[in-house]
Amino acid sequence: MKKIANDEAAVVIIGSGAGGGTLAYELTAAGIPCVVLEAGPFLKSEDYHNNEWEAFKQMAWLDARTTSGSWRVAKDFPGLPAWIVKAVGGSTTHWSGATPRFKDYEFKTKTTYGDVPGASLLDWPITLADLEPYYDRAEIAMGSTHRHGRPALPANNNYKVFANGAERVGYKLYATGPYATNAEPYDGRPASIQDGFNFQGDKNKSKWSTLVREIPRALETGLLDLRPDSHVVRITHGADGKADAVLYVDKEGNLHRQAARVVCVAGNSIESARLLLLSDSNRFPKGLANSSDQVGRNYMRHMTGSVYARFDKPVRMFRGETMAGIIADEAGNDPARGFVGGYYMETLSLGPSFLASFVEPGAWGPDFTEIMEAYANTAGMWIVGEDMPQATNRITLSDTARDQWGLAAANVHFDDHANDVAMRDYAYDHAQKLYDAVGAVASHRTPPYPSTHNLGTCRMSERPEDGVCDKWGRAHDVSNLFISDGSVMTTGGAANPTLTIVALAIRQADHLAAKLKAGEL
Amino acid sequence: MTTKRDAFALDPGKDEASRRLLAKVVRTAFPHKTFPDAVYQRSADAVLAAASGTPAQKLGFAAALHELAQSGFGGLNDEAAALAHLKSIENTPFFAFTRATALVALYDDPEVWALLGYEGPSFDKGGYINRGFNDLDWLPEVRIEEYEAGK
Ligand SMILES: Cc1cc2nc3c(=O)[nH]c(=O)nc-3n(C[C@H](O)[C@H](O)[C@H](O)COP(=O)(O)OP(=O)(O)OC[C@H]3O[C@@H](n4cnc5c(N)ncnc54)[C@H](O)[C@@H]3O)c2cc1C
Repeated sequence: MKKIANDEAAVVIIGSGAGGGTLAYELTAAGIPCVVLEAGPFLKSEDYHNNEWEAFKQMAWLDARTTSGSWRVAKDFPGLPAWIVKAVGGSTTHWSGATPRFKDYEFKTKTTYGDVPGASLLDWPITLADLEPYYDRAEIAMGSTHRHGRPALPANNNYKVFANGAERVGYKLYATGPYATNAEPYDGRPASIQDGFNFQGDKNKSKWSTLVREIPRALETGLLDLRPDSHVVRITHGADGKADAVLYVDKEGNLHRQAARVVCVAGNSIESARLLLLSDSNRFPKGLANSSDQVGRNYMRHMTGSVYARFDKPVRMFRGETMAGIIADEAGNDPARGFVGGYYMETLSLGPSFLASFVEPGAWGPDFTEIMEAYANTAGMWIVGEDMPQATNRITLSDTARDQWGLAAANVHFDDHANDVAMRDYAYDHAQKLYDAVGAVASHRTPPYPSTHNLGTCRMSERPEDGVCDKWGRAHDVSNLFISDGSVMTTGGAANPTLTIVALAIRQADHLAAKLKAGEL
Repeated sequence: MTTKRDAFALDPGKDEASRRLLAKVVRTAFPHKTFPDAVYQRSADAVLAAASGTPAQKLGFAAALHELAQSGFGGLNDEAAALAHLKSIENTPFFAFTRATALVALYDDPEVWALLGYEGPSFDKGGYINRGFNDLDWLPEVRIEEYEAGK
């Protein structure tokens, strides 16, 4: 592996997930040496556990965090606002793989939806047309099924219930993808063996993650200096206001400094915002790149919920790919439904351990055990749609909670917008109708889980006062500081975000490589 | 060996009567007719193990368990009465802790998985691809491709 000296002003990437891992690969492939600092350990597929709690404890980000606001997660899981992975590969190790694209209007929701009271809607500084070539590259990299010649995954049991229900209620736009897991061998990785473990990391490597694709390939270029167990705690700047180094803590708690020519932040929305807030200085008293006071604001997590339905015959939803089933009929904008924006329905399966904890947090007694008792006959789906950005939904530094290094923990404040609530109610209703159409005995509306989609805390904006970075992810305030993850999303769309994060990272890498080669950075 | 109903067990994890009483709490909170006592006992033991932190935590837990014993909960043979009793202490730290800890232990127990029909880890067995991932036969086969006219 390449060794880059700590005093050599390098291209430094913080985080190795969807955004950071992709950027590292694209830049090293273009001949640019990079340092990647990753807070978590370098685990491999063979280290993963096929057990929900063991896998969660092994890889989830469990550093101190706090919550506030009226969202249900704050009551049920006050110390766990989000399910994010802390390891090389980031949350792409635990993600499931659904890869829909944003729709055209989802880049201009302020124009499309008009004024929505309480929402801080803004049009993106880019359009679908700008992103389309990068969506193609991202789908090819990730091996999305149904795209670029990649075959569909077969129907598993959970999908059969889901798709039959869809057909019977009149939906047409159902399929087993697009889903970034191989149905046949592709890109040096094998076909899915339908082992049912996605959220725990895929031991079979059929599922795309930066751990199985971008990181090893970046290492192969000989240009990547990957440093796991390296938690960045501050970005410093010189007298010229440009970022000049990052400071990080190793496993033992020792501080290190890496000089930087360019800094790319890809710590997933909560940590990216927290890191900028922690990097305050006389010149940037509200936090680095935060003259607009927008860092940490407009935190989005998608309107989510689940419905679990029970039948009088076996389903065995746990056998097979967790989320290889998508319905897109409700994904458009149709305000006649009583809300703006749209949502997807996607198959979802949890094992008994997680179902018990998440199906109705806090519940017990016979009503609860009835749900668990029906486990083998249960089918499940997730609903995921666009939530409204709100300036008050926000990552801040806690006044009291500290992480293991003694640094202020992130507080995640979230209130559902009335539009989110209306969409969730409508989606629950339609999910239950779908299952009723295939003979459900009963179904349960499960509230949102800790956020797996975390977006928007450093949003892109045309005007510096409206956001944190420009259309390339470059901080408005600091010319060599880039944001390279889902926090740049101006609005969240209905689609699961990772394809878009990867497409944006590829686009940013092209831009960075050109600027670096031209000596403009 | 049995302990008298009103004896205060300093270390309930080592006291048979306390262990059984707590297992009854877990069964009452999560009633599954087909589950044997052993799985509830394992779950209760996990609660007892987790409750052995600081002296203050130990004391609080032991005192709550002692009160439960004194209340006669152990002798309630009627399920509805036992359930009603738990309802009455639902908001106590003792019950909240017991419920949350027991829930995780109970449903993460391989014997419980088998009882519920969950087959668990499959990678070592080659996944479910040849073991019924698509064996549901009470609904028609369905399209997996995207809707042509929708593209
Ligand atoms: C269970 C689950 C299922 C999901 N399913 C889907 C799906 O089907 N489709 C979809 O599109 N998305 C899905 N997602 C979401 C997807 O994983 C994320 O959108 C994506 O990984 C985010 O990319 P990122 O680069 O922003 O952050 P991550 O991938 O989370 O990477 C961030 C990395 O940065 C590291 N880091 C953070 N702070 C620091 C610091 N200060 N110093 C050093 N390193 C740091 C973290 O340890 C982490 O490794 C799922 C997520 C989960 C948890």
